[in-house]
Amino acid sequence: MGLIDFSKLKSETRTFAGKPVNVTIGPRFNKMGVPAKVVFSLKSLMEGMWLTLSYLLSPSTVVTKEYPENRLTLKFPERYRATLRLTNDENGFFKCTGCKMCERACPNLSIKVITRKGPVSDKMELDRYIWRQDSCTFCNSCVQVCPFKALNMTHDFENAVYDRRLLIYCLNRYAGPAAGILAAQDEETRKKMMEPRQPYGGNVPMNGYQLPYLKALPGKPADPAQGSNK
Amino acid sequence: MNTVPLIEKTVHTVSSVMTTTLADRASSAMPNEWWWVVVWLAVGLAAIGALITALGLVLIYVERKIAGHFQCRLGPTRVGPFGLLQTLADTIKLMVKEDITPTEADQAMHLFAPFLALVATVLVLVVIPYSPILQIVDLNIGVLFVTAVSGYGVMGILIGGWSSNNKWSMIGAMRVGAQIISYEVSATLALLVVVLFSQTMSLAGIVESQAPGWWVWRAHGVGFLAFVIYVIAATAEINRTPFDIAEGESELTGGFHTEYSGLRFSFFFLSEFVNMFAVSALAATLFLGGWMPFHIGLSNSFNSIMDMIPTVVWFLGKTSFILFLIMWFRWTFPRLRVDQLMRLEWKILLPIGLVNLFAAAIVVLTRLFFFPGVS
Repeated sequence: MGLIDFSKLKSETRTFAGKPVNVTIGPRFNKMGVPAKVVFSLKSLMEGMWLTLSYLLSPSTVVTKEYPENRLTLKFPERYRATLRLTNDENGFFKCTGCKMCERACPNLSIKVITRKGPVSDKMELDRYIWRQDSCTFCNSCVQVCPFKALNMTHDFENAVYDRRLLIYCLNRYAGPAAGILAAQDEETRKKMMEPRQPYGGNVPMNGYQLPYLKALPGKPADPAQGSNK
Repeated sequence: MNTVPLIEKTVHTVSSVMTTTLADRASSAMPNEWWWVVVWLAVGLAAIGALITALGLVLIYVERKIAGHFQCRLGPTRVGPFGLLQTLADTIKLMVKEDITPTEADQAMHLFAPFLALVATVLVLVVIPYSPILQIVDLNIGVLFVTAVSGYGVMGILIGGWSSNNKWSMIGAMRVGAQIISYEVSATLALLVVVLFSQTMSLAGIVESQAPGWWVWRAHGVGFLAFVIYVIAATAEINRTPFDIAEGESELTGGFHTEYSGLRFSFFFLSEFVNMFAVSALAATLFLGGWMPFHIGLSNSFNSIMDMIPTVVWFLGKTSFILFLIMWFRWTFPRLRVDQLMRLEWKILLPIGLVNLFAAAIVVLTRLFFFPGVS
């Protein structure tokens, strides 16, 4: 039972800029008489108190998770948002085409999509999908804007590291075309199209550095041809 | 004075001396056994000290637990079983914290203010009848005394805010001054209704006058209205949400205790919770019959079943009910603006309170309340 019963609201047609518009008129507190104001206010206070009492009396409404002990049985709300990942199809190929819609949608430049002209397919394809977890606000804009449903926010939340450079990394494990194109190829062409990519390789601050707890990456250090680190 | 027969005849007799206080015991021991006076006074001091400690530990834990569940949280769970030792841990933390006095502050006043705030609440605790044999002193002007000494608390807050030499503290303290002085008027008008009905100002006497029924229902309409007004005004007097504009952490970063830390902050904090208990105990004493069990009329069968429950349990139960009510208000209602606060007092509560007092006087004169002949 809400404060405003929408079925009882009056609606009328008003003219805005010469056009008739249907307007629903809700209760306006400032235009009520004093008795109506008192009734409305007391009713709203009572409803608030009833709501908090119902929270107090039913322990099932508690949303707090007591974390470290129940780590293995931890259940999340469906729309809980943590680490960003590329979604894979049933064969394990990512669906990302490198269209950069997510990069445009990102409000604070946490996503950098680097594309390349495929050496085999001779078409634009994803080279490195770089995500800055340190500046990401988990707003979900990239996931919502993706036309191929190639991104999702996973429930993987244990991301603490001792060096903030470790939070900037590449999401895809190989550079190559999207899942649809790969699936149409035979086994050999597919292998040629997929070029391996490391989480801390390429255009990320950790590339080429070594920490006591992080081994140096195999292969050559940062490739200047791939553009500068922004 | 012998205490044993007093316990036996506690509740059944109406309009006779039922209460014996610590002060009574001390004064009756005075002529021949002077050392008992010292013993009784020491017992009184220790009891008040223990009560304040227990209140601090229990109320803060209960408030945090209740607040948690009101907001779909759990509250403290980690320190001890069910988080029971959380308040103890916080107390130790506050004691070992650095006690900072700002260099620009008025040192002596800054040091003195928290104690003044706590002393006011202690003085109120002294006169409250917890049970027929548990009362430190019963003053014949009890209600007047309570309304008078609760003003000390404002002094402590005003001095604390003023001496901090900080704009937030200053604004907070001035708000408290305006707020408490305003709401004291309504609270006193509500208390006067009970004084009219019970024809005494002694708190023990007021409890005894409620033997046939509590004033909240025996004085039907006016008693209930006075109770509602008192609960609202008392919530405002102890600066709790929705009337906590004195602290207003979203605007004033903590109000009058912005510059306090460590043990002296905990004194302010403790005085807030003890104050909450004091106003709840007072409301229970004046309107809900204090330690008096729930009686219907003068019929003996129902009343004697109710008499089996100890009087202290009755008192604590009624007090806890009002404490819960005040906590419920705090975690449900949004904070009022300063002008809304003043309008509520001067334009709404005060006129209603005045009319209610007149109506109560008429009810008393015409003897239109329940069981008028009994007390």
